[in-house]
Amino acid sequence: MVMRITALLLVIASALFAQAPVAPSPDLAGERLGENVHNYNIVDSFETGYRYSTVGGSMEQYRSSVNFGNGIRLLGSSLSVNSKNGHGRLFDQITLSTQGLGNDPYESAVLRVEKDRLYRYDMSWRSNDYFNPGLVTAGGGGQHLWDTQNRMQDHNLTLFPQSNLKFFAGFSTSSQEGPGYSSIQQFDGTGNIFPLFSNVRRVWREYRLGNEFRVFGIRVNWMHGWEHFKDDTGATLATAGVPGVIPPQPPPAGLNSFQASDPNHGTNPFWRAALFMDRELFHLNGRFSYSGGRNAFVVDESAQASSPARIQNVITLGNADRPVATGNLNLSFTPTSKLTIANSASVYNVRTLGDSYFAEFDSQTQSTTVLFYNYLGIRTIADDTNLNYQVSPRWGFMGGYHYSDRLITSQKEFTFAGATSTSPAEQSNQLRSGEAGVRFMPWKPLSVLLSAEVGTNSHPFTPIAGADFHTLSGRVQYRAKSFRLSAAVNADYNANSVSLTSYAAQSRTYSVSGDWAPRDRFTLDAGFSRAHTYTIGGIAYFLDQQLFQGQSSIYLSNINSIYAGVRYEINTRFDLYAGYTRVQDFGDGRAAAAAGVGSAPALFQAVQTFPVAFQSPMARLSVKINDKLRWNAGYQYYGYRQDFTSLLGYRANTGYTSLSFSF
Amino acid sequence: MCVFTELETGLMFLPFRSGLYLAIMCGSACILQAQANRFVSNDVCKECHPAIWNSFYKNPHFKSVASGKESPENTGCQGCHGPAGNHVDNGGGKETIRAFSVLPADQVLDTCLRCHSQTLSRANIRTSQHTLNGMACTSCHSIHRSQSTRALLRKPQTALCEECHTDVRAQFAMPFKHRVEEGVISCTDCHNPHGSFAPTWGMASRPRHVDQAMANEEPCLNCHADKRGPFVFEHLGVRVDGCETCHAPHGSPNSRLLLRPVVFTLCLECHNGAGNFGRQGNGIPMQTSAHNMADPRYQNCTACHVRIHGSNADSNFLR
Repeated sequence: MVMRITALLLVIASALFAQAPVAPSPDLAGERLGENVHNYNIVDSFETGYRYSTVGGSMEQYRSSVNFGNGIRLLGSSLSVNSKNGHGRLFDQITLSTQGLGNDPYESAVLRVEKDRLYRYDMSWRSNDYFNPGLVTAGGGGQHLWDTQNRMQDHNLTLFPQSNLKFFAGFSTSSQEGPGYSSIQQFDGTGNIFPLFSNVRRVWREYRLGNEFRVFGIRVNWMHGWEHFKDDTGATLATAGVPGVIPPQPPPAGLNSFQASDPNHGTNPFWRAALFMDRELFHLNGRFSYSGGRNAFVVDESAQASSPARIQNVITLGNADRPVATGNLNLSFTPTSKLTIANSASVYNVRTLGDSYFAEFDSQTQSTTVLFYNYLGIRTIADDTNLNYQVSPRWGFMGGYHYSDRLITSQKEFTFAGATSTSPAEQSNQLRSGEAGVRFMPWKPLSVLLSAEVGTNSHPFTPIAGADFHTLSGRVQYRAKSFRLSAAVNADYNANSVSLTSYAAQSRTYSVSGDWAPRDRFTLDAGFSRAHTYTIGGIAYFLDQQLFQGQSSIYLSNINSIYAGVRYEINTRFDLYAGYTRVQDFGDGRAAAAAGVGSAPALFQAVQTFPVAFQSPMARLSVKINDKLRWNAGYQYYGYRQDFTSLLGYRANTGYTSLSFSF
Repeated sequence: MCVFTELETGLMFLPFRSGLYLAIMCGSACILQAQANRFVSNDVCKECHPAIWNSFYKNPHFKSVASGKESPENTGCQGCHGPAGNHVDNGGGKETIRAFSVLPADQVLDTCLRCHSQTLSRANIRTSQHTLNGMACTSCHSIHRSQSTRALLRKPQTALCEECHTDVRAQFAMPFKHRVEEGVISCTDCHNPHGSFAPTWGMASRPRHVDQAMANEEPCLNCHADKRGPFVFEHLGVRVDGCETCHAPHGSPNSRLLLRPVVFTLCLECHNGAGNFGRQGNGIPMQTSAHNMADPRYQNCTACHVRIHGSNADSNFLR
């Protein structure tokens, strides 16, 4: 009986997923006994089938945001092997799970192999087909188009994972490869924009070695790593003689050929040391890291144009360094079981410096040689103190004070025709904020959390950074055996004013969600979220060489999101799931892009809000053929619409049929 | 029932608390009760809880049983649930054993951290926002009815996090988003739910629960390595205030997770020349008069400023 209840709970919970893609199917087999082979128990399941999609409208937009295609897939699989007495010869546990293998745009595999007390090996492999056709939501065409495949791997080996002396070794790599389009502006600041073709080749690798030991009751953990990065992308002119893709264009200036080779290789060795201890009355930990990033680069460009005839060669080479030292020290003190006082201090010191030798030969403007040197230093010291007091099991209070001090030093230097120009700068910035909150449980299933924070920033770096800000948030949750309901509200306000312009932002988010499982055979979950964003910022720009200042750019977004999912087990053989998700940005309520808000000309008024709607209903049927085999079929519709333009809307019908085998 | 703490189980089941501390908190009555309790064989537990025991070898906590070397208070069922003598003598009942379903959050945490504090990734759990807001380990982890092959999670990770973070769930339903629902990445690729070391790339140690890359950088750079640099010409706003200056990391209605649907509005809100801001405190450079915003070619800034995240060859990010 207990076993059956456990299995049912697993089934119920698995139906309460967020609305992920319709396939792979959730595992409905419940807890499985598996097969016993020698001293091991093996539990296995896999789902294989055919996925299809038909798309109308903008295929580019579909590939950018959904991207499922047609074909046979190993939609998902799960394997676990456990030794029954914990004394396996080579391993005690193997777990392997995969998703989307066989050409889905999103593929992953996760593996763990473990022998108790001896070793633990974790591996994850992920592949993501990244497609971006240079979209700009407003319907315009961007110049950066990518159709690349990103692959990531992580390998981690821990020796003696349960002992006081552990050793770590790890390797990670990620790569991005595939065709892409970029752009370049030739030959001067108002020249034409030309499309470039790129063969993207980027590889990042990291090797790690570390150790953890215990001395005088303190655990010490250190790690040394080496990162290497290579970008050998380069670029060539995509279409000779065509001056870009943005109409209207001035009379075209031909570009017969363009080639760029810009290998960029970097290394970033790092050290990290941490110590931590957990005692009855206090807890202490610290983390210190140092990395010395170094980047060497060459940019070699050659362009040849006609009408008028022109040749330009550019060579740039140099190095950039970024040493980073960081430290965290955290101490929490628990004098009584009701009171916790925690302090966190941190320091961050980064210096980025480098030189770039720039040499240009232009058949019209002749030779130019400039040596650049740049320096940027950021030193931040921060301290947080938090107090948490649990008055009773039903009442608790918390408060905190946060202080940050940031010093930014920079220097820009260039040498031209033997003369050096230097412009050093320094600025400091202090941020102070305080927060307070209360949590209480009017009765056991109901918990309420309210908090607020107020802060000021003496010298924000950008006009949109937090300056005078405050935050209000609240969360209510009701949790009973078969019913859960939670609601949250969060409001952020930021005002950042200066003499020439002003920036103010407010965002409010409201959300409510719940799930209900009144019976074993029926579950329901649903939620609603509303995110309101309103910002007003000062802008300055030129129209036909006339400067416009002191005008406001207003952005207004009202995003409503709703989801619902219901699962019904019709009988012991048929299981049905239906779900719906809709996200809609209502913008500022305008019906068309022409008339808008704000003091800027129509150009800006038209882009201050962009109503979009995205919806995705889905349904899935799973039929139990026997205890080990299920047949699944599902359908999911994707619809995307931009109210101000029809260029990027799409409608996609996707679905799958599959067999799930499990034992 | 411990009359001092109003807890059904009382403090007597917390073996790491010293006897003196117990005496201060609960008085001698609790001490006497605790001493009266005793450990029993795991076989006794199996008699009444066969379903849990029969599959317990698949549970990571089975290590404590398999080793055969651990003391009773660190072994099997009673390693977590405390001595079961009274529980057996009374024929069961949640009040006679450390039953996690009725334990306050701090006591759940204390119990689990007896063993699980020995991991760097959990070094900040006692000061994490989750803990400070009253969450217990069992809010996310289910020791006996786990839904995941890793970490004994109560639900698959994404569904678990989204149960409370409904607003974030909505962001992952946006047309442009990181592929979390699709399973390519997970919440813990960027966040540490057990509490992270204070990130120092921003001010006032914000945001919380975000895991750092190795040099205390934003976790974005773990995957987007080509944006890391170092560059001779850094985009200062990015380096000083972080990726969130321009991007919404979870999801956005706008292409490339941008905060604005059109690129030039995003750029011009900072590049407006207003005093006080920027490197020298005299404003972030505004566009030159050569930029005629009535001409569509100037409305897509990154068409020319292609290396907007940083460049080695051009201070204006043109190459």
